[in-house]
Amino acid sequence: MARLNATDLEGVRAEFAKDISRVREPISVTKPELAAAVDGLDQYMNESQGLINAAIPLAARTGLTTPQKARLLLHVINKRYITGA
Amino acid sequence: MAADDTLATLNAFSFESPTTNYAVADTRNNRRCLAFSDAANDVAYWSHVMPQAYVGTTGVDVIIHWSATAITGDVDWDVAFERFHATHDADTDGFATDNSVDNTTVPATSGYPAATTVTFTDGVDMDSVVAGDMFRLRVTRDSTADTAVGDIQVYAIEIRES
Repeated sequence: MARLNATDLEGVRAEFAKDISRVREPISVTKPELAAAVDGLDQYMNESQGLINAAIPLAARTGLTTPQKARLLLHVINKRYITGA
Repeated sequence: MAADDTLATLNAFSFESPTTNYAVADTRNNRRCLAFSDAANDVAYWSHVMPQAYVGTTGVDVIIHWSATAITGDVDWDVAFERFHATHDADTDGFATDNSVDNTTVPATSGYPAATTVTFTDGVDMDSVVAGDMFRLRVTRDSTADTAVGDIQVYAIEIRES
């Protein structure tokens, strides 16, 4: 999968800002800094998607669809860094 | 009225909306507010009648009372008057040019109140609104130019004789 285009990157940034606003969570970066963070993470995911896929044992790697593997990754990240933090 | 006397206080929920890019009704700790997002130049209108006490020699200050989600960055505001009088068709917009106050730094604590004053001189700057005229006030968060992440909550707007 290629890099997200500019519209999608801004969409991700805006959705994150909406989430932060909904829970009234203070945030201490500016919009350009947040946009750069989104861009950096997308670039990392683009470069590392093969490694992430390879980390999944074969049965699940071939048995799960790409969206299912993405959702699984979301759950792991959520537990590691958000709800489990 | 004398200078600095309040002409009107516009409540957050007495707003009117455009069809697109509108601020949305929200609450913060049960305080009614309007949320201006950072994703588009959100707009809200307020309709009012200029009090008969308006002297109309110098103009008005429009004071926006707001808070932010973010604790860094800045906010840009654009404000314009539209006189609704005589031959003005209600089906069309006729706002005067926006007056802007840019780069107001958000409070260092999320939720702390801030106030931004946008000044108008009497006459065309405020679309020639005089005492007794109906008018609309248009408030826009110029979010394509400002840097604060997330919503800005507007609680009230004061119009004060300058």
